[in-house]
Amino acid sequence: MSRPQRRVLRIFAKGNVDVRDSLLWSRVGNRVEWNGINEVLRVQQPRVLAKVRHETCARLDFIPRPGEVLAGPPEERAKSLPCHVHAAHLQHRTALFDGPSDVVVLSIQPDLLHPMVRHKKDGWLLLPDGFPTWDAESKAWLREECVNAGATPLETTLASLERLVPAIEEHLGAHVLVYNLSPALPGERIHCFVGAEESVGLRVRRFNVALADLSSKLGFSIVDVERIAAAAGTDRIKVDIPHLTAEGWQLVAEEVVRILSDRGCFSEDSVGAA
Amino acid sequence: MTPLRLPVLHASPFVLLRAGLRWLRRNGETVAAREPVAYSNIGLRTPRGLDQTAPFSEESSDLQVALAPSHAGVLRSDASLSQGGFQDVVSLLPWDDGTVIGSLEASTDAELVPLILVGRRGLDAGEGRGELLSGWHDRTRAFWGVGSGPTGTLLSLGICEQTPLFRGEDFAYLEWFARARGPAQVMSIPDERTVHSSAVLLQQLRRTPAEAAAIADAVHGWIGERLVGSSASFPAFDTKQPSSPGRWPDGQSVLFALNLLNEALGPSPLLERTDLLGSSGCAEAGPPDVVSLSLGAEFTSHYRHKKSGWLIALHDYRLSSFVGPAIIGWLRRDFERVPRSVAEVGRDLAALTGELKARTGGVLVVQNLISTAPTDRIPNYSWLGDSFSSAVPVMCAEANLMLANLTQDHDLSVLDSDALVAEHGGRHCPDRAHPDRVLLEAQRGELHSILRARKIPGFEPTQLE
Repeated sequence: MSRPQRRVLRIFAKGNVDVRDSLLWSRVGNRVEWNGINEVLRVQQPRVLAKVRHETCARLDFIPRPGEVLAGPPEERAKSLPCHVHAAHLQHRTALFDGPSDVVVLSIQPDLLHPMVRHKKDGWLLLPDGFPTWDAESKAWLREECVNAGATPLETTLASLERLVPAIEEHLGAHVLVYNLSPALPGERIHCFVGAEESVGLRVRRFNVALADLSSKLGFSIVDVERIAAAAGTDRIKVDIPHLTAEGWQLVAEEVVRILSDRGCFSEDSVGAA
Repeated sequence: MTPLRLPVLHASPFVLLRAGLRWLRRNGETVAAREPVAYSNIGLRTPRGLDQTAPFSEESSDLQVALAPSHAGVLRSDASLSQGGFQDVVSLLPWDDGTVIGSLEASTDAELVPLILVGRRGLDAGEGRGELLSGWHDRTRAFWGVGSGPTGTLLSLGICEQTPLFRGEDFAYLEWFARARGPAQVMSIPDERTVHSSAVLLQQLRRTPAEAAAIADAVHGWIGERLVGSSASFPAFDTKQPSSPGRWPDGQSVLFALNLLNEALGPSPLLERTDLLGSSGCAEAGPPDVVSLSLGAEFTSHYRHKKSGWLIALHDYRLSSFVGPAIIGWLRRDFERVPRSVAEVGRDLAALTGELKARTGGVLVVQNLISTAPTDRIPNYSWLGDSFSSAVPVMCAEANLMLANLTQDHDLSVLDSDALVAEHGGRHCPDRAHPDRVLLEAQRGELHSILRARKIPGFEPTQLE
């Protein structure tokens, strides 16, 4: 007896914990707490199977367009740096344009949260991922060669998306979804921002508002994590700024499926056969 | 068993009177610390020969004292102190401090502490004295702890979201009484006439006598048309038609216009001083230390009178169901609609912050907008087209961001309702405007934290059991 054929939806997820934990799986210790978007599809779109390819993202402007080569640290040095998740020699590369995708999922989370260093002489940027645990030699090299470049300015993020979204649509013909971030930080209450200009919550709000504005111009969809978390209650489904509980990731995955449905991604002619 | 005695209240040289006692809790009930168990209407009588206006002259009809034990326990009440009927409404008995009204079974000695409730009627002849702070008031307030230090005053000028936040479930400020030690005062002015946006408040603060006269002239002219002009209509006396039931059709419109006028020509609530009563006599509190506004008020419909420049703000729902077609016609003919951008609202709030600080030392707390509604899903903002900037979630988010940014350069505070909804979940305020008691209590707690952070006198927490 043959199983009914399931159509495949190819999703390229370029981002970190938010896109991975909602679309692929969320694991706490050795236990899988949420098993990704296919859990939702199995119920809502049983004839569709999502194949999710995930790639970490250090920063949106580190994603090169087809044919583009971005400046980064020299290959040999980069490979020797003990970056954790975001390997230094891969930060400025992507497989995004190497194969077909029906949907590309991005996130502004890297730009919001990742502090960068800039090479003093050559000007390239690097995410020194896991720096406190680096060995002494690598730390010394970084201190000698680089300066703190801080967080990504809003204008840079918007410019990155303005550059990237049309390229994705042109080269892949894919739908583009961008995750925003919930600004609520459990326990944080600021009633007056004098002297608190660098509040993460305020920064997230600024980015989210600007992202909505850009979405209205470029036509990508926002996976509104801010709304999802607020509707459910951040004290229930949020752990910290980037992390949600399994229930939270499920709600986000359900919203992704709703958006894909709104965009007609589950119609007969929009997904390939498995 | 601790006897519960009427506390000391002095109004000398005036005579303090009270009505019969009305019980809020039954005999045998367990009551919390600072939970009112009874209340009484009170009044001030001027002794013969004294040529002096009594305090509370604009509020004398609706003056009450609620009584609460300082500690938790089981209440034993003396029912004989309530006579019923108008004896429990009209203040005829002298205030007899020390009189035992009941007792409390408690682990520690308790005393009765008073919470004074005051309502200034929108229309003095408008009687509605059945309950705690009942009736239509253009301002209500509650104060407690007078006589033991400076009294901090908190004023709400917000829209409907702030009414239950300030006045509480019983609409009598009882939640605040349990929360803050005092001496403190909480006041609320509703938005039943004009909505108190920063633009409206600024204009009232800066109004000159000539501008006031121009507003009076504008209202006088329009009401004159309703009474004697060609628009005047008196169907109840038209013998050619069968008698029509109900009120004079123009009555409500004329009264509404007069109410707008009454508020426009009165003193700014940001500057008003208030009378107090306590154990050491009557006193006067200065202008509010903290003024609470709603960011939502800024985006209600604003109208400017074409000739006088008078600015009013109204809720649209009030136009359709409360005030009727005559007022709508007046607005269309003699007023122009004033659209306000987020940036303009920011400028007005900044100006009001500075002007308030300079004139009274007061500070603004602005309750932000709730941007999340569980059902408000926008899967693609480009699908909104030209309506993008006016979409409610977009406008709320932009306005909230403006407000947060404003606090970086100006000394005002945000009551972050948006964050509180996010924390507790959208189900606690599904329509963005009317929170349930869980969210209200969280908002009250947050507001209280702001008052403490700003060291407003009297809002230190109570030492409850």
